Amino acid sequence: MTAIDAMLYREAKIRATNLIFIFWDVFYPLGYMLVFGVGVNSALGSPLLPEHVDYNAFFLASVLGMASFGIASNTSWSFFLDRDNGIFFEMLTYPLSRSAYMLGKVLFTLVVSLVQAIITVALASLMFHIRLAWGRIPLAFLVMVAGTAGWFFFYAIFALSTRRNDIFNTLTSILYFVLLFASNMFYPLEPLPTWLRRVALANPITWQIDCLRWGTIGLGRTDRVLLEAAGFCLFALASFWYAARCLERQE
Amino acid sequence: MTYALEVHNLLKTFGPVRALDGLSFAVPRGTIFGLLGPNGAGKSTTLKILTTLSRPSAGTAVVLGFDVVKRPLEVRRRIVSVIQETAVDLLLNVRDNLLTFARFHQVETPTARRRAGEVIDRFRLTAEVERKVQDLSGGFRRRVQVAKAFMVDTPVLFLDEFSTGMDPLLKREVMSMLREEAHRGRTIVLTTQILSEAEELCQDILIIDHGRQVARGDLNTLKLLSRGVYEVSMTFDAMPERIESELTALPTLRTRVENNTLELAFKAPEGQVLDVVTALARNRRVLRLEVNGASLEDVFLELTQQEEVSRDRH
Repeated sequence: MTAIDAMLYREAKIRATNLIFIFWDVFYPLGYMLVFGVGVNSALGSPLLPEHVDYNAFFLASVLGMASFGIASNTSWSFFLDRDNGIFFEMLTYPLSRSAYMLGKVLFTLVVSLVQAIITVALASLMFHIRLAWGRIPLAFLVMVAGTAGWFFFYAIFALSTRRNDIFNTLTSILYFVLLFASNMFYPLEPLPTWLRRVALANPITWQIDCLRWGTIGLGRTDRVLLEAAGFCLFALASFWYAARCLERQE
Repeated sequence: MTYALEVHNLLKTFGPVRALDGLSFAVPRGTIFGLLGPNGAGKSTTLKILTTLSRPSAGTAVVLGFDVVKRPLEVRRRIVSVIQETAVDLLLNVRDNLLTFARFHQVETPTARRRAGEVIDRFRLTAEVERKVQDLSGGFRRRVQVAKAFMVDTPVLFLDEFSTGMDPLLKREVMSMLREEAHRGRTIVLTTQILSEAEELCQDILIIDHGRQVARGDLNTLKLLSRGVYEVSMTFDAMPERIESELTALPTLRTRVENNTLELAFKAPEGQVLDVVTALARNRRVLRLEVNGASLEDVFLELTQQEEVSRDRH
């Protein structure tokens, strides 16, 4: 039994006995796929892209990206929950390093994001008959997991540097709006105005979703996807490094 | 003598403020050690450093041979800390709070379950055991927090104002449990504002103020520092009207008037104590009279007031 096991056990207990978390992490993004995606697909009426990709297929990677982004945001909010419960500082005196505390938190989140990805892909295949690139699906799951970790570390920076819950919530709402809409999540980038396309190309969500589209429906050039994957890994590592520094400063 | 804690020239600054200013002390293993001081004296800061929550600006702190800065994980394996703020997992029930805590301290599941049963009984939490802590009152939450400390066998236990929000019966039970733990060799370090608690529990007391040592020793040693301080308690048939003006003439450390009872502590040569009591009782009907030597509260007040005066002079 290690400290990380204990951390995993705690997170699992909290999530399993408070089902509202499961709703937000697993079912809320599915709602986007089942309602928003179906609605836009019907409204467009014809394939979205020249590669005969309809909106449901296009939107599958978006739902995965949105889930990974949302799960990470919810988990980082739990730093506030721990702080409000007073247990945050008590836990820093438990026999685990501060990095282990953060890794323990993210490990459970990764399990949740993997479960979410499996359900989403299964529903996409069974309900919408999306033609999946099955050989690449394990890589898509890997991107999902790595993406969740990266976004968690990114959000952890704000959760650990902000003392006030309301400021953090405002910040996450702004980030949610800006990062999701200034990306390829809801629409392809090509028809967008130049300025918006440039912002979207620099947005790590775009990189993650390109990797997810490549991994689920086989869309995109492999060399570009590899470059974006490397970029996202650097982003995740930098976020981890800075979040760990923020955690070390807590006293 | 082997020490559980060794602190040398500890300094902690927050900007221009020196929360700890060269504090040094050592605590022998298996003792109940009280760290006392007024608000802002540096008690919680000291505990935060000893529990690896905070880093000192200078100086060293060693817990069971491990430096808190260089080997924090080794320190954390040997301590349990009950912090001043209520610290519980609100979304878990009482039993899961205890079991999760034990798991962090590597207690095997069967042992943890057995201990949880015992702790739940002793802390009178049986009726609440399946309830989520967020549904419990503040007093019960504190109870769960303190109960966690008894789930594990770490050799050092830190308690910061442990009795806050506890009912007197439970407080007595916890104090008795702490004595048992110390008897079994556990070192207990506590801070408290309730000096009668320290008086009852602690074998060794350190009084600090403005981050510096003011006095150190066992209860009797500390009381000697305040020789000449007497506590008088007088119950009258009716509280005399001009008693307050009479009291202003006395070198009182504290006075308290409650219903018909007057309690005061003052410093005077031994021979004058009777004169003071006689003067207060003159032409009045005294139903009860008690004269005692200094209590820890008197010692504390006198020493911290002296510290204040000395600081003002400088």
